[in-house]
Amino acid sequence: MSSTTTTATFAVLGLYSDAQKIVDAAKQIRPRKLGRLEAYTPYPVHGLDKAVGLPPSPLGKLVLGMGLLGTILALLLEWWTSAVDYPLVVGGKALFSWQAFVPVMFEVTVLFATFTAGLAMLFAFNKLPFFGHPVLHSKAIKGITRDKLALSIESTGATFDPEVARQALIENGAESVEIVPIPAWDRPLSLVGLLRTIAAIAAACLVAGAGLFAAEKMIPVVPPMLHMHNQPKLNAFRSSTFFADGRGMRPAVAGTVARGHLPPAFATPEEAGTMLANPLPLTQKTAERGRKVFNDHCAVCHGTVGDGVALLSHAYGAKPGNLLSNEMRARPDGYIYGVLMLGKNAMPSYAPDLDEADRWAAVHYVRVLQRSQNAKDEDLR
Amino acid sequence: MTTEAPRSSLVRNALVALTILGAAGTALVYVCEGPARFWANWLVWTLFLLTVGLGNLFLVALERLVGAHWSVPMRRVPERIASLIPLAIPLLIIAFFGVPVLFPWTHAEVAHNPILVAKAPWLNLPFFAIRLAACALVWLLFYSFYVRGSLRQDQSKDAAFTVKARKLAPLFMVVFFFSVTIVAFDWISGLEPEWYSDMFGVYLFAGTFLSGIAGMALGVLGLIRRGRLPDVKPKHFYNLGTLGLAFTVFYAYIGFAQYMLIWYANLPEEVVWFKHRIEGAWYPVAMLLPLFHFLLPFFLLIGAVGKKNPKILRIAMVSILFAHFVDLYWLVFPVLGAQPLFGWPELAMACLFLGLGLLQIRRAMGRGADMPVGDPLLAKGLEWQL
Repeated sequence: MSSTTTTATFAVLGLYSDAQKIVDAAKQIRPRKLGRLEAYTPYPVHGLDKAVGLPPSPLGKLVLGMGLLGTILALLLEWWTSAVDYPLVVGGKALFSWQAFVPVMFEVTVLFATFTAGLAMLFAFNKLPFFGHPVLHSKAIKGITRDKLALSIESTGATFDPEVARQALIENGAESVEIVPIPAWDRPLSLVGLLRTIAAIAAACLVAGAGLFAAEKMIPVVPPMLHMHNQPKLNAFRSSTFFADGRGMRPAVAGTVARGHLPPAFATPEEAGTMLANPLPLTQKTAERGRKVFNDHCAVCHGTVGDGVALLSHAYGAKPGNLLSNEMRARPDGYIYGVLMLGKNAMPSYAPDLDEADRWAAVHYVRVLQRSQNAKDEDLR
Repeated sequence: MTTEAPRSSLVRNALVALTILGAAGTALVYVCEGPARFWANWLVWTLFLLTVGLGNLFLVALERLVGAHWSVPMRRVPERIASLIPLAIPLLIIAFFGVPVLFPWTHAEVAHNPILVAKAPWLNLPFFAIRLAACALVWLLFYSFYVRGSLRQDQSKDAAFTVKARKLAPLFMVVFFFSVTIVAFDWISGLEPEWYSDMFGVYLFAGTFLSGIAGMALGVLGLIRRGRLPDVKPKHFYNLGTLGLAFTVFYAYIGFAQYMLIWYANLPEEVVWFKHRIEGAWYPVAMLLPLFHFLLPFFLLIGAVGKKNPKILRIAMVSILFAHFVDLYWLVFPVLGAQPLFGWPELAMACLFLGLGLLQIRRAMGRGADMPVGDPLLAKGLEWQL
């Protein structure tokens, strides 16, 4: 045997017609370590995996691991989205309701497991993409895909001797033996081949897309079937012939009050001063909230200390009130609240911008500012 | 075999002693602890023996229905364990006397409860007795047909019986599903008669099938260890592991689906049933179910190793059988109160019923050959490859 033929041989195939015979032959040949033993059969044969010495597939463990990973990731996702990032109470249940998460965890487990099984089987263990197996070019392949079972002793390198392998197969009852050479093309993934593949995929996508587009345009959509965007409902801001005023969106009934926005029961700030007291206790927390409200909304005109001197004072030609004046210090809390709600002179109402607690917190902060500018001796101690 | 005989009679005597001790304890329970606790224990154990027996009869019929070969060499084991059915039926008939104690729908106040008035056409003692008698009758008929018929076939080698058994299997399936549902609704769900769950029959079926698998697997492994089933290989009981794995998932699915829908809807008349069973002191008992009915057997059986290794398979099956008992206990005992009762009365009655059950199975284990030698499919079953 010259070295050129040994390297050019991919495998020696022995053909059998009987499943039991190929199992027996594999058991006989395997201990001789002539080469890597492999079998090609048209249907699964009991005991053949063991006879050719295939190790158990690691796929099961991988699928279990990935499935459990899916369970954990789904739980984390649901916990994060519904209990941490955007806490939303649904149906009065706790934010972290594992009962509601289980179906999604189950589905994601199955998803991870099936994708792992499919993709790992194809790409990791079967080493796809694999364009053309040498056995596909053998004469025996017609039989293998029909009713013959092939035992193959595959080359493991220079020590492989096809003639010995051929003898071994014949001794073990092979009906015919074929030496399969390594095909001439040894680089199936050439640039041209790759480009051709990509072009073919692109062409297939184009044809499928264009075909679907044409079908969608040409095939009429008959009543029980509808395009989802054609729904018997009015979209926002569309007109309607149903209502007399022609508007699709209906205005709120006159006198509607939004929740938490009851109109004030007083007509002037003075009246508010006699009616209302600050419901918020004066604490560090409310004062700090008031500072934020004051600096965001009030300081632009009244100044950060509330003395009525601020950046915008000249621009408007207005003279904002000095909140630190003796007059303002003498006014009750309700009066400041009333001005905030109703506006005064050039100042508009801030009622739509602030919620109830913010308004009263701002009132507290005005008091804090007044005290800070008129500190008593004991405050300084 | 000479060493086997004295050991065997020793075990038998121990079981008889256990049973007698249990019987004495059981009488004490009735006297000291009152009828409610006595009947609750009686019901749990009767249902336990009945479901294990029915599960095994179901496995026998299932093999006939689908024409399985792999289980034929092991079929004598479920046929023998199914002998728990003729034991459990008299126990269930005795339990009928406990119905007025345990079941609120038998009480006079029912006339003021509109839900129970509406359910009265189903929940009344005469119809209850008729259902019990009908179930008992069909179970005995099918038990006699499948088990006695199979024993007769040992001698007659009559292949016609195999055909007949296959033809009757679909009928058994229908009867089985109806009768298990009736047991679930009558004997368990009726303990809180306002409650209802369409799924409950399926839930008990899942437990019945699983406990049947567990009983059969433990029986097969036990006989193999005693060298009585030399031709049964791991490839045969591998499938018991597979079925066990599949049905722990089925049980978990059914149990969780029932729980989740009731939890979600939060309807007072439905949710109260779970409130009695997972709140307070019952919570740790409830947690035993996912642990031993699902997680432990699932992870033990998921690999091929666990199904072929007798030790791992045995642990998984003992876990399932234990969890099945906990399941029945968890279903029945909350009617006695918010505290799970477990003390000497439970142990005493466990001794009685376990003793009776094991004695019955031991007696059946001596009947006929250890494999169905008259079945024409036996050779195929022995040759069967995984």
